[in-house]
Amino acid sequence: MDRRNFLKTSVTISAASLFPAPLLTPEAIAAVPERFPKPMTPTLDGDVKEFHLSVDIIQQEIVPGFKIHTLAFNNQIPGPEIRVTRGDKIRVVFKNNTELNHTIHWHGIFVPWRMDGVPYVTQMPVMPGKQFVYEFVAEPYGTHFYHCHWGTLLHMQAGMYGSFIIEDPDDPIKKQFNYEREYTLLYSAHDVNFIRKELNAMLDRMKERMYLMKHGRFDKERFATFDTKDELIEAVNEGYQPPYVTNRRSPSELPQPNWFTVNGKSYPVTPNLLIKQGENIRVRLINAGTEEHYLHLHGHDFWQVCDDGVPVPQPWQMNTVRLSPGKTIDILIEGKNRGIWTFHDHDTRRVTNNGLYPGGNLLALVYEDTPPEEMELNPMTKKMGLTSLPVVALDE
Amino acid sequence: MPKYYVLVNILLALVVAVAGQAVAEVTPEIQLGARGVMSLNTDIKNNQTTNAVSDFSDTDLMIGFRQKMYNRFRGQLVIGFQFPDAESDLGQVFFHQTFIKIEDKSNILKIGRSRVRTSLLDFPTLRDDDALLLTTVLNPFSNGENSEDHQYGNVLEYSHIFGQRVHFQIHAEHFKESPDTLGAAETDFGLNAVGLLLQYRVPVSQRWNRQIIQSVSIGTNNFLTDRPGYSSEYCQALKNVLFGFVINLKPDPVHFWDLRSQTVYNIGFDEVKEIGDFSDLARAEAIGNYTSIRYLYRRMERPTLQVALSGGYKDFPNATQPTNLFQVAGSLFYRIGFNFDVGLQVQYKEYSGDLRTIYGKNMTRVQFSLIYSIDQLWNNQFDDRESLLNLEHGYIP
Ligand SMILES: [Cu+2]
Repeated sequence: MDRRNFLKTSVTISAASLFPAPLLTPEAIAAVPERFPKPMTPTLDGDVKEFHLSVDIIQQEIVPGFKIHTLAFNNQIPGPEIRVTRGDKIRVVFKNNTELNHTIHWHGIFVPWRMDGVPYVTQMPVMPGKQFVYEFVAEPYGTHFYHCHWGTLLHMQAGMYGSFIIEDPDDPIKKQFNYEREYTLLYSAHDVNFIRKELNAMLDRMKERMYLMKHGRFDKERFATFDTKDELIEAVNEGYQPPYVTNRRSPSELPQPNWFTVNGKSYPVTPNLLIKQGENIRVRLINAGTEEHYLHLHGHDFWQVCDDGVPVPQPWQMNTVRLSPGKTIDILIEGKNRGIWTFHDHDTRRVTNNGLYPGGNLLALVYEDTPPEEMELNPMTKKMGLTSLPVVALDE
Repeated sequence: MPKYYVLVNILLALVVAVAGQAVAEVTPEIQLGARGVMSLNTDIKNNQTTNAVSDFSDTDLMIGFRQKMYNRFRGQLVIGFQFPDAESDLGQVFFHQTFIKIEDKSNILKIGRSRVRTSLLDFPTLRDDDALLLTTVLNPFSNGENSEDHQYGNVLEYSHIFGQRVHFQIHAEHFKESPDTLGAAETDFGLNAVGLLLQYRVPVSQRWNRQIIQSVSIGTNNFLTDRPGYSSEYCQALKNVLFGFVINLKPDPVHFWDLRSQTVYNIGFDEVKEIGDFSDLARAEAIGNYTSIRYLYRRMERPTLQVALSGGYKDFPNATQPTNLFQVAGSLFYRIGFNFDVGLQVQYKEYSGDLRTIYGKNMTRVQFSLIYSIDQLWNNQFDDRESLLNLEHGYIP
């Protein structure tokens, strides 16, 4: 009789302990991919890969019981992953379904300048109900992302970001580390009170402005939009008060993030990274938020293999990596230490939900082959009705 | 150790635990509203001109606290006071708002001191009570000395909102009762009025959706008086009906025009045929209308200039001698800074019949004013029911 069978016949141990931890049920494992941005399937127009992105206002549940109004590409946060091969001809048809302005900026991608998505610099904003077609060639190789560049401070933290992965059939990292599974983690930080107030204020403003625009009544001072710097300076000399002078828009303070998400969710519903003993996994880290994160993995070192998509000449071994806003970093984790290990911001102010620890961007590296008996709780804890490790705890 | 000692200790621990939690847990939203309305009044009455800087009424300070409750409800406490009219007997300050409100998406319960439903609309005059006799149902329990008696009371209100725009309200009040003998204090605070209100109203946040109708309301107040000679409560009740509407004549964000009108019918008591004092004025059958047309210039997405012309007429059809009152007012407000306005208002009032004995033949008042108002919210945690997000993108409790 092996240990497993012995446990089955034992009456002194509760039935619950016979089952693997909830984290490792087949359903839980199958559900893991759902927490990562799913790549979009393009349609082919000749040799052009065509993608369709739209933006709507939706309600996002960051954690069970806490919902906010957000902006979302294709009704999801983050937006769908665009995954193409180097040199592919790309067309993205972007449709604006909201009453706000937007654009899409392709962060880290060598697009023609008129495709760069910066309003008033490379294009006019994509106005309510309108669409814009972005066309470019997928270069360079690596982990990149896309995000809205209109009202960026609000629109990005409201959810308008998604990963853009450019693959190489002859992938240098794959060659070096021989991995199969990979994961994309998009980090963001949200001041949900700022998002709510500013989104309402912007919607209100736009209702007025669209009415005036429709009737061809564009007023440079009212819209705070000028042809040249000289024109602005002249207007100021004649008594015009730019919006920043009196800060006449609400809210008046800079946002102070109080929610920290990975792939649009906070602990305890952040995505977990699955690994097996002896397996290598690649994790693409993208900071689409406004805060710097210091991501630390327990029980392991990992290799930093790419920086802003670019393979580093000599992978660096480390256990904590700094992920600044706008940065993408690829890391390679070797499955060498079986168990369940947390991976989180070591600025633990970001391991909070609405100020409460634990929460935020806390997630776990989970060995699928962790034996259930290693996850057992002591008999005292079982009396509390808990089954096995890890346990979801929200109040430490 | 004696048993009671243990018990006391346990109780103390519980008290400390509960009180401690209240301190540690939820910081409420904090709202502050303040308004200063200062004016120089020049009155021309019976060919005599007087100047005075005595009028600070409508100057008020309000503080509110709001937080999410368990489930889907929110609770709010508001405490506010204002400077009463100079000639009132309310003292230096009057607590016009002191209430608690509990609400969810479609239900509102309010209890405490607040604005009563004696008028359905706010008019673009300088003071809330500039056209009181025309815009507001009069409180029959008052001696008429304080305009606040007709505008504020101790209220118990329940409202249900159908969809997002139809409000149905049932309300009961204690209106201030002026004691018969001078200087005596009010002792009976029982509810002395009940009423209903039905209102269709476009939320403020949706004003640029450019509907023609902004609001339509119908309401009734019933004052439970002790009418001599009648025993049934129905016959004793002094009843009135109010009807009001606001329409957007030109819902343009820069050059905005609207029109508002309210008709008040005081069913009154048949036996009141002479108006000799305030009690008769409140009890006599009367029909009155007040209407304003307003132009609002919003140069930089906020008000720059407002010009309004208002006028009204009230007739007492049951009075033996033809009695009525007529009033016009022109007002202009110009914004000289964020939240800071200068105002100029000219009013003319003319009385006939019995009203002449009380108010004189006519009166002209010119007011020059400075107005500063603020509205601040700290520690904001949740959205208003009538925000654009909640109305147009699904309500989040
Ligand atoms: Cu946007």
